[in-house]
Amino acid sequence: MRSKFFILAVTGTIAAIAQTPGRKIDFPADSPVTAVSSDWSETRETPRGGAYLLDVHAVLSLRNSSQRRIRGVTLAVLAQEVTPGGKGSVSVPSLDVAPGEAFPLRIDLPLLCPLNAGGPMVEVKLDGVLFDDLTFYGSDKLHSRRTMTVWELEARRDRKYFKTLLETAGADGLQKEILNCLELQRDRPSTGVQMVRGRSTNNDPEHELKFAFLHMPESPVDPTGGSARIAGNEARAPQIDIQNRSDRVVKHFEMGWIVKDQQGREFLAASIPSDVNLAPGKSSQVTQDSSLRFSERTLIGSMTGFVSSAEYSDGSFWIPSRAALNDPKLRTLIAPSPEEQRLLQIYHKKGLGGLIAELKKF
Amino acid sequence: MTRHMKETDLALYASGDLRLWQRAAVHLHVRQCESCRGIVEEFRADGRALRDAAAALPEGLDWARLSAEMTANIRVGLAAGECVAPRGHARRFIPALWRPVALASVVTVVLAALLVGGWWLNMPSQETQALSRAMRSIWHGRSVMQEDRGPVIEASSEGIELRKDGGALGVSQDSAKLMTVSVSTQGSASADYVDQDTGQVTITSVYAQ
Repeated sequence: MRSKFFILAVTGTIAAIAQTPGRKIDFPADSPVTAVSSDWSETRETPRGGAYLLDVHAVLSLRNSSQRRIRGVTLAVLAQEVTPGGKGSVSVPSLDVAPGEAFPLRIDLPLLCPLNAGGPMVEVKLDGVLFDDLTFYGSDKLHSRRTMTVWELEARRDRKYFKTLLETAGADGLQKEILNCLELQRDRPSTGVQMVRGRSTNNDPEHELKFAFLHMPESPVDPTGGSARIAGNEARAPQIDIQNRSDRVVKHFEMGWIVKDQQGREFLAASIPSDVNLAPGKSSQVTQDSSLRFSERTLIGSMTGFVSSAEYSDGSFWIPSRAALNDPKLRTLIAPSPEEQRLLQIYHKKGLGGLIAELKKF
Repeated sequence: MTRHMKETDLALYASGDLRLWQRAAVHLHVRQCESCRGIVEEFRADGRALRDAAAALPEGLDWARLSAEMTANIRVGLAAGECVAPRGHARRFIPALWRPVALASVVTVVLAALLVGGWWLNMPSQETQALSRAMRSIWHGRSVMQEDRGPVIEASSEGIELRKDGGALGVSQDSAKLMTVSVSTQGSASADYVDQDTGQVTITSVYAQ
């Protein structure tokens, strides 16, 4: 009797662990990418206390079924039943996929969800595809057109920078700069941060702290003032005054937010994206109903903001130049672009010859 | 049968003074062990001899006085023993009033150990971390953080995660190296991963929308 119970218990446990969650790949009929194959075999669902730990590991093979070269793809990963209102996405920038070519895309998503009768459901949808002429296809529900276009512009800027360096300073000059970038990447400070939407979450006394600004040359948006309410390790409701100093209407901009704690450590805390409709020469104030919370040891001392990108109403973009990013403060804090990360990894793996060969492809 | 009972237990068993649960164990042993059974029989024989000798005491003995002197001597002996005994032996003389308290303490410790073990094995790490934060706040005398009503997005050196309504949506890539994480005040967080072999960058994001 005891052995039968044991066998039943073991069988039930194995069945629970081996069960795979519901999954669905849903691309539009006229999608410029098609799913050639998908492998979900490493996906596991494990009961853990009063919840399921759903560990989604999938590798999709996608084919460029359009007539243009693809530069970036964003897939939306929806788990609405798991996290009401929650969404995830997986983007692959810095691609160069010719028509008819296939490329892999990995999805790795640990989900924790309450136990329910139907089990969790994961759905993968196409949010957008960016082509080499910067045209876009997709529903763009996650604003992937904007983010992928900025990544592509940064990729072109950084490739041009390294190619120019190769032409002017030779292979040795390029190598010296790459080693410098690797050192900055290794030493870049980082800290854990939580973003909480809505009301503040603790009762500590708060005070107002004004932003300082790094003014980026040629930026269409000029920050003129701003502040946030500080309570210990939490910064709440940032508000920023801006002026459009370009000759075009700005409809979106993004600011980087650098925090210095009371021990003098500086790190890039967050970005503040804002939708605006700012005519040339006009000013406005943007406010965000959100809080940033750092580790308990990080007591906020000062804050500095800088404009990191802007979008005009005609759909074109502004991004900072490499020269502007060489500001001593920014250079140590700002993360490299996805393309710079890719090129550094190629150097790391294949050496200087591999990097030069990669730069010559474009 | 390799181990024998202690002589004190056998003596108490022979006189019928052993506690009930010990008596059963000694009884089973004595039934199977000839040596111990022999000792028990000797104790019983000694007891019978003592009772016979007591019955044969001379007439005119003042039993009341003898009993009082014996009781007094026993008390003096106990008091002297307490004075010279090591401190650890004092635990044997727990007042009867404190025994329920000691028992309750042991039960509480066992239940607490079970509770902590169960929590450690079963509760999601987020719940444990939230409790830990609250306990630290109480310990340091700060105000206790209230539960966040809205979604919480977290970025750290381990990846990014969205928590809302008891559910969690996390992003990590085992096979790739995490390069950067970033948080947007509009309610999203992103993590950049680089494939170690191909250099392909994958950017994963979570959105609280």
